[in-house]
Amino acid sequence: MALDSKSKQAFTDPLIQNNPITSQILGICSALAVTVKMDTAIVMTLAVVFVISFSNTIIAMMRKWIPGRVRIIVQLTVIASLVILADQVLRAYMYDISKQLSVFVGLIITNCIVMGRAEAFAMQNPPGRAFMDGLGNGLGYGIILISVAFFREIFGSGTIFGYSIIPQTLYDAGYSNAGLFVLSPGAFIILGLIIWGLRTVTKVEEA
Amino acid sequence: MRSNRYVLLFMSSLTIILGILLSLAATALKDRQERNVQIDMKKNILRSLDIPEDRSQKLTPDDIESLFETYIKTIYVDADGNQVESSDNPVYIKVVDGVVAGHSIPISGKGLWSTIYGYLAIEPDGETVKGITFYKHGETPGLGGEIEKEWFTSNFVGKKIVTPEGVPCSIHIFKGKVSSDNPRKYCLVDGISGATMTGKGVNIFMEKDLKTYGGYFAKIRQNQ
Repeated sequence: MALDSKSKQAFTDPLIQNNPITSQILGICSALAVTVKMDTAIVMTLAVVFVISFSNTIIAMMRKWIPGRVRIIVQLTVIASLVILADQVLRAYMYDISKQLSVFVGLIITNCIVMGRAEAFAMQNPPGRAFMDGLGNGLGYGIILISVAFFREIFGSGTIFGYSIIPQTLYDAGYSNAGLFVLSPGAFIILGLIIWGLRTVTKVEEA
Repeated sequence: MRSNRYVLLFMSSLTIILGILLSLAATALKDRQERNVQIDMKKNILRSLDIPEDRSQKLTPDDIESLFETYIKTIYVDADGNQVESSDNPVYIKVVDGVVAGHSIPISGKGLWSTIYGYLAIEPDGETVKGITFYKHGETPGLGGEIEKEWFTSNFVGKKIVTPEGVPCSIHIFKGKVSSDNPRKYCLVDGISGATMTGKGVNIFMEKDLKTYGGYFAKIRQNQ
């Protein structure tokens, strides 16, 4: 599949310039919940990338046949099926992480990014391009997730991927993990700072 | 605009196709999922009995199987606490070098949103809590879901399931913080803020399950 410029743009646009979380403020709920540690953030990203790219592709393939009256229901059905599939695969192959993610994989269906792209892009574009758009949005979401998780895990637990990286000497000198970052308020603060930073760089402003 | 017949046909086909695909996937993955659940159960039985002592140790499924094989003896008891061939009431006994080091029983019941499953382990004296784990539930993350965290379960260690007079009692999750001059603090644990209903559910089913195994633990205390 040759990447035409429109497909390339569909992929690169949502990574930074039109990042779904920072520009459109979508998908925040799970961005806060699963970013306590980096490994859960990464698995969540993979699940979301899987769901968005394939739901976009499938809906784009069907777009000419989907009756207008039931298009939201059709989108929901496709997305829900993919989410169930992702959940089942996680339970089979990554059981411990699936327990940590608990209900949030199932909640991907409520993530506005997925439905948003299905309605706004997949319904009006060919499958190849829709796939790239899904991939881009999923990865854009993932970039933010992983960034938030990075700071939350380092400052909140002193680890990266579970490995302790703050030297013991710092702890002995009086440093202690900032528990606030393990809790929601810390997540909001970091997310807010990231949105601020990214919007400044990309010059995105509220209308 | 499409006709009604078309819409019906489209939705039916879509539903049937997706239904079949999902069923196929679920069936194909079922065995692996089952094994994961079994391993998780065993891991939690071991954990309630303080195996391994070093909690940060990472265990592979094979490690867990072999630890279970080595240290745990599974028996079934009836309502009076006598050992029987099989029943709905298993007891997992930790045996180290031929010496009994703990008894773990399954506990489960209704929380606020879901059924909660766990294991409660009692020391060989038949009255002191050795450990407790909650390994499966659908309670609210951050609220009721906190019951599975170590900071909460570690509060149960050392509590008693009998009064000083020897009358069986159950451990209760207190609403709020247990004050140090509370005469019943030997069977009370501090509650979790925002998880009162979950705590209430746990209190009810823990009492029920301790009653089920009441005969068994009474016998153990008698044989001391």
